[in-house]
Amino acid sequence: MSDRIVDGVRKHTPSILLFFDESPFSLLWLWLSTEKRKQIKSEKIGIILYIAMASPGGQGGGAVSTRGAGARRMKWALELSLGNARGRGDRQSNQGDVMYPIGYSDKPVPDTSIQETDKNLVEKRCWDVALGPLKQIPMNLFIMYMSGNTISIFPIMMVCMMAWRPIQALMSMSATFKLLENSNQQWLQGLVYSVGNLLGSALAIYKCQSMGLLPTHSSDWLAFIEPPQRMEIMGGGMVL
Amino acid sequence: MYPPSLVVTFTKKSSVKMAKLTSLFVISLSFFCISEAVFEDQVGKFDWRQQYVGKTLFAHFESNTQSSKKMFVATDKNIFASFNSRTGDLLWRHVDKTGPEGSIDILLLHGQDALMVVGDGRLLRSWDTNIGGLNWEAVLDTGSFQAACFVAIQDTVKLVAVLKKAALSLHYLSNGHQKWVENLPDSDAVQYQAVYSGGEEEVYVLGVVPNSHLTIIAYSLEDGEIIKQRSVEASWLSSVESSCVVVGQGVLMCVDPATLALYTLPIQAEETPEFSQILLQSLDLEVSPGFQPVLVSSQPHPARSPLSEFFLQLGPDHHVLLQLNADGYTIAPLRDFQPAFLVSFATTGKKTVAAVMTPKNETACAINLFSVDSGRRLLDTTVLFPLELNGGKPHALYVHAFLKKDDSVGYRVLVQTQDHALTFIQQPGRVVWTREEALADVVTMEMVDLPLTGTQAELEGEFGKKAAIQDGLFPMVLKRLSSQVTLLQAWLAHLWKLFYEARKPRGQVKNEVTIETLSRDEFNLQKMMVMVTASGKLFGIDSKSGSILWKHYLENVQPNAAFKLIVQRTTAHFPHPPQCTLLIKDKDTGLATLHVFNPIFGRKSHIALPALPRPILQSLLLPVIDQDYAKVLLLVDDQYKVTAFPSTKNVLQQLQEMASSIFFYLIRSDQGNLSGFRLRKDLSTERIWEVVLPTEVQKIVAVKGKRPNEHVHSQGRVMGDRSVLYKYLNPNLLAVVTESTDTHPERAFVGVFLVDGVTGRIIHEAVQRKARGPVHFVHSENWVVYEYWNTKSRRNEFSVLELFEGTELYNSTVFSSLDRPHLPQVLQQTYIFPSPITTMEATLTEKGITSRHLLVGLPSGAILSLPKMFLDPRRPEVVTEHSREENLIPYAPEMPIRTEWFINYNQTVARVKGIYTAPSGLESTCLVVAYGLDIYQTRVYPSKQFDVLKDDYDYVLISSVLFALFFATMISKRLAQVKLLNRAWR
Repeated sequence: MSDRIVDGVRKHTPSILLFFDESPFSLLWLWLSTEKRKQIKSEKIGIILYIAMASPGGQGGGAVSTRGAGARRMKWALELSLGNARGRGDRQSNQGDVMYPIGYSDKPVPDTSIQETDKNLVEKRCWDVALGPLKQIPMNLFIMYMSGNTISIFPIMMVCMMAWRPIQALMSMSATFKLLENSNQQWLQGLVYSVGNLLGSALAIYKCQSMGLLPTHSSDWLAFIEPPQRMEIMGGGMVL
Repeated sequence: MYPPSLVVTFTKKSSVKMAKLTSLFVISLSFFCISEAVFEDQVGKFDWRQQYVGKTLFAHFESNTQSSKKMFVATDKNIFASFNSRTGDLLWRHVDKTGPEGSIDILLLHGQDALMVVGDGRLLRSWDTNIGGLNWEAVLDTGSFQAACFVAIQDTVKLVAVLKKAALSLHYLSNGHQKWVENLPDSDAVQYQAVYSGGEEEVYVLGVVPNSHLTIIAYSLEDGEIIKQRSVEASWLSSVESSCVVVGQGVLMCVDPATLALYTLPIQAEETPEFSQILLQSLDLEVSPGFQPVLVSSQPHPARSPLSEFFLQLGPDHHVLLQLNADGYTIAPLRDFQPAFLVSFATTGKKTVAAVMTPKNETACAINLFSVDSGRRLLDTTVLFPLELNGGKPHALYVHAFLKKDDSVGYRVLVQTQDHALTFIQQPGRVVWTREEALADVVTMEMVDLPLTGTQAELEGEFGKKAAIQDGLFPMVLKRLSSQVTLLQAWLAHLWKLFYEARKPRGQVKNEVTIETLSRDEFNLQKMMVMVTASGKLFGIDSKSGSILWKHYLENVQPNAAFKLIVQRTTAHFPHPPQCTLLIKDKDTGLATLHVFNPIFGRKSHIALPALPRPILQSLLLPVIDQDYAKVLLLVDDQYKVTAFPSTKNVLQQLQEMASSIFFYLIRSDQGNLSGFRLRKDLSTERIWEVVLPTEVQKIVAVKGKRPNEHVHSQGRVMGDRSVLYKYLNPNLLAVVTESTDTHPERAFVGVFLVDGVTGRIIHEAVQRKARGPVHFVHSENWVVYEYWNTKSRRNEFSVLELFEGTELYNSTVFSSLDRPHLPQVLQQTYIFPSPITTMEATLTEKGITSRHLLVGLPSGAILSLPKMFLDPRRPEVVTEHSREENLIPYAPEMPIRTEWFINYNQTVARVKGIYTAPSGLESTCLVVAYGLDIYQTRVYPSKQFDVLKDDYDYVLISSVLFALFFATMISKRLAQVKLLNRAWR
């Protein structure tokens, strides 16, 4: 639960950071493509870079995971010696040399009964999940604008990613539904989620179309036209 | 190794960058598209050239020593060349103008100087025989050339005398300056035909008034003054040239075929001489009926008088060696040679010998030396000349005699046969080399696929349809096993051969190509070139190595005959052998004969040929096949009746069914008439259309349809807005080129008519005003490219016509000329070309996916591979987004010639007459043969080799990297396992 809350906190940072966070290479790409195309003004780049650098997301996430890994390493341990206890953490070191029985915790045990605020949190969390794809759309639009319509390796990678993510999400719908199980508006949320993904893939298709990757013109079918059959046989020439 | 799409992307990128700098753009484009010049280490790897000189008219050997290596020939192709007599290779060659302007009248050799009269007495040239350089050239007075000879003053040859129709001139040998020139008296009546000098102070000119008298004039060498002038009664004499020679101490020897007598006359006699007659009968000699006797004499050194011995030819294979006695009018026969085809004198030092060629058996002729003085045969001088089964008969004999160390006479001999082949033979009968000079005049050619190897063919036969029906299941299994065993055997043999050859030193390994080892290679890059030459000799040449694998001489072919070579059955129909048919039409009688042969082995097929009693006008190869998979050939005679070959019942039935869809057209250039015919069921024809181009205004020069084996992959062109402009691909379209009869620069024009061959409809008509031929053109796909001379701007211009159907296809499934209501859109553009051209052809590939290039033969001997992209009427004057998208090069009037486009780098092909292109098994590769005086074979890759790994592909690096990665993966996997285990223990 605590991890999720951390996630929830992170959600408040601009969504662009999420994107950067998820694919660190795309920052490099963005830099390269802007450099190459010379279409984006330098201020824009400055802003993007500023946002990117200011983001604590990457580092924060890293810290959490390290702590988690440490915890995993020692599932439980009996600390009988007093000397060792000093280095264990703030809480214990604050307690000084008072010895507690095994299993004693000075922290109050959380109330496990379901409360109204928790319900709201679940609800909120589920809506977050459902609206995730829709929230990504402006970001995708921005990327589309940035990548342009030339056919080269980076825009192609972009488009593939844009097309693949919604499809992947739609394919793992059941997992998402399991996530939304606890919500009252499960069906509505599921619908919003799938609509968001469909919009995402529509966007990808539109991008393909504007890049000329869709076979919508007659020229795309030219290679499949068979040469017409000859009805007459003809020959001859100058009189020998 | 980029796929074509990637190449396109690159060019597109470059086009975006350089749109402002058009010229730079063109350069970059050409760099991307046509960087196809060969690398230094590729020279001769895929290409070969053979140089020829033509039919030998005069041949001389350098000097009479055993070690001399040079020989000199002058040919009917106006070529003076020198061969290395040890190898037969050309040392040097001078190619003069074609036609009578450069014709070589005579070639005389003395010491280091080769004297030549060129262009019917126009020029006198002296060549240095060592290096082939020109010593000097002198322009002679007008008048047709008659004879020439060396003139010696006090035992040294210093002058050359040239006899023309009305004048005699003497030139210094050292610098070509004229010593004197004298007009011949009474040259209107007297035909002066011979000039003679025997080392005296005079030079004699012999002339004849036919059937009246002989005139002898003696000129003083010093100042050209007439010393003597005699007239001798000779009512029997019609020509000095053909019936008289000078023998002995200035005695004119003539033969009269009418009275069968020899006449002798001393030229230098003071008083008025008389001919003395010696009847051949008195010498016990008899002339073959109907044969004109011929005299052969020899003058070993110009400073001395000729030999008193001479040959008299009495029949086609009957010669007699005669001797003029010292008294000057009696003759003694020395030896009778019967049978003897050819005789020749040869002199070395003081000795003169006669070489005589006699038939030995069916397959060989023997050449022997005879002492001239006695007529005795010299011992150990027999040389055998192998007669080929389908070769020409011996035609001339050139003997190179020399003194051996033991003072006996040795010799080598050059035999010229009727098929223009030269064979050089050394004692004791070894053929040193053979040159097939008929190949200097190739008329037409075809390339035929080689057959599969024996085992492959066997497999094909085994698992064919017929076999499957005949046999049951079990025998088929057995067959399969046995054939697998044979394949294994062949593979093992191949491996063994590889191993065996690897041990040998490199130089000794020779991949000898023989007819037995011929087989198709993986990509069908090696083919059989079937070449038809003007002399009537057919050749089968391996396209990879250029070696002649078979030759077949057709006797009785007229020199001006018309040939048409047709491939009736390819090698694809095992076990039926491939079949080619050569249609030979005699221009005089109009009658045609067929020669049917197997193109791989050159053997004549024994197939019943149709009787062709009437003159044949044209032939037509149908895609219809008979039960033996041979395509049907229709021959149209002068009554427009059609003969089918082969004409089995099956074929005739098929013809009856298809008759209504078979059309043919005939063009009579002399009447300016184009007419189209339709076949009726009874194999007669009806005329369905006729177009007349008045011959007073213009004459039809040439007509070209499309090549039947041409494939067009793309049915249209993609525009910048990604719509399609469909090509007008009419398979029945003909391009007819006309030239105006008026040659005035202001009024001359060239016309190009695009005519539908089925309906006679004129699809398009392009008239180029102020233009003159010769027009060279290519008609392919939906375009016609032609080249002409612009008389106004005085330059060569290329023009391209392209036909499009528009953005909609009228009928995408079938094409019928009878149902085409809309005329195509025609686009045209013209460019300046900086050079005249001699011939033009387009590349051809298997599926037609590869972009096209034009192969242009230039007079310089270079063959230019010009991308069709440059000849595109859609090239825009103003660059737009769309045109850039389409990769169209902005229009520029000048067409560039880049030296890296020359596919034959420095291997120039003299007098290119034709270029033949054939597809190979690889889509990227087109085989090219350029023929003319030389033959050049190569491969071109118009879109680069997108389907083959490069020649210098680094197999070692790639495979070592692969192995390294493989092992690295293995090791790291192992290490990871160990680490995991350790961690688990912790």
